[in-house]
Amino acid sequence: MTLISKAITGIGGLLLAHACYSAQEHSALQSFRATSTATLTSSSAVSTSLPIDIVLETIVSTFIILLGLVLGTRPLRPIEWRVWAGKIEREGEDGFKDRNGEVNKDYVGNPFGIFESRPNFVDIRKQRKEFAEWVKNGEGQQGR
Amino acid sequence: MAPSLFRSPVQLPPADALELSKQAPAILRSFPSTVSSSAITDLFSAPENPELWLTYENLILSSLRTGDDKAAHGCLARLLARFGNENERVMALGGLVKEAEAANNGELERVLKEYDQILSENDTNIPIMKRRIALLRSMGRLSDAATALVQLLDFSPTDAEAWSELSDLYFSQGLYPQAIYAEEEVLVLAPNAWNVHARLGELQYMAATASGAGGGAYQKQMAEAVKRFSRSIELCDDYLRGYYGLKLVTGRILKDSAKPTKVTDEGDFLLPDTKTTERLNQLATAKLAEIVRHSSAQDRGWRGYNPAEVAAARELLSEDSSSGVVR
Repeated sequence: MTLISKAITGIGGLLLAHACYSAQEHSALQSFRATSTATLTSSSAVSTSLPIDIVLETIVSTFIILLGLVLGTRPLRPIEWRVWAGKIEREGEDGFKDRNGEVNKDYVGNPFGIFESRPNFVDIRKQRKEFAEWVKNGEGQQGR
Repeated sequence: MAPSLFRSPVQLPPADALELSKQAPAILRSFPSTVSSSAITDLFSAPENPELWLTYENLILSSLRTGDDKAAHGCLARLLARFGNENERVMALGGLVKEAEAANNGELERVLKEYDQILSENDTNIPIMKRRIALLRSMGRLSDAATALVQLLDFSPTDAEAWSELSDLYFSQGLYPQAIYAEEEVLVLAPNAWNVHARLGELQYMAATASGAGGGAYQKQMAEAVKRFSRSIELCDDYLRGYYGLKLVTGRILKDSAKPTKVTDEGDFLLPDTKTTERLNQLATAKLAEIVRHSSAQDRGWRGYNPAEVAAARELLSEDSSSGVVR
């Protein structure tokens, strides 16, 4: 996905650069012609508008760049509440990773989880005891 | 992969807590021991960020749990150096460390006295008030804890966490109507919390089964439970807990419906008719089967469920098929 989007953006960039270069060359040629013809006959009017193919190339290349950038964006977040909530429950952290596999910084799981974990009311002595027991049991299993 | 340090580690399983607390010395080493908050020194040193303080706080919780008191003291010292010992949140953390290190009841009483002392100077110190309640509950003085909690809610009635704690406190004493009332208050403050809806459904179901079948209150509570679980599913797609509860409750109602039931005059709490209940039950069964299937196959996008919850759902489904009830 990312490779495709980068390739498309690159092609669009090349086309745009080519269009710019063509326009520049075209205007240089025009001014050269104007000066060279002015010395011979001053009556012939020179058209200064860009040829249609350069205009088209500019427009098309802009759209190709846009397409490449749009393809390269992150997957969009759900905007419906139940879809978003379902994503949290179903996918957990997996659903909120960016392209490098890092979990988003603002991902907190179920934001209403604090009503059940209640960190301000934590019974630290019970947790300590439970952890000590877990360690004892864990070591017991390993020793066997 | 280690769980994030930015989230509260209170409900993590022991293995994850151990992993977190093992990171503590490295984190203490890698960050400077004092962070200046003045603008000029900010130009030369790394700026402080809120995540750092959150990390310290969560490290205190997990290292106290694993018994690494040295790391906890290290984190606390840094929070004290930054916020001073008058900061309410840091005061509560300091109290937490003392509670964890108290070896006997006498020391706990001393910590409790300290809390009382702080509260006599400033009785709106909510973090310390919450610690005091938690300590009372931990010491087994449940009625004192309930009184203090009601007092806290008297002057701070929008504290959903406190309402939730009150509900749990009443529930642990078997006072179902009070627990349901407190949980409903949480719902008033956080109407979109799908887990609170499911929790309330569970409370209603437990209250109904505790009071015994047949009565009007039983029907009312079962109907409420169906509504709560349905709402939690409405708020959250593929919510395992909600579907589990819905299946349990509707299965029970269908089993009861064989017996004649008394007609109650409370019209708005009537149970849905049998056909609706059956369809709800079928839906819950189908959804649970789908969740269990995907989750056991470790399908992409279905790995967020708690393995214990999936195992419980599988058990419920197998119970259903082994008893020969085909619905």
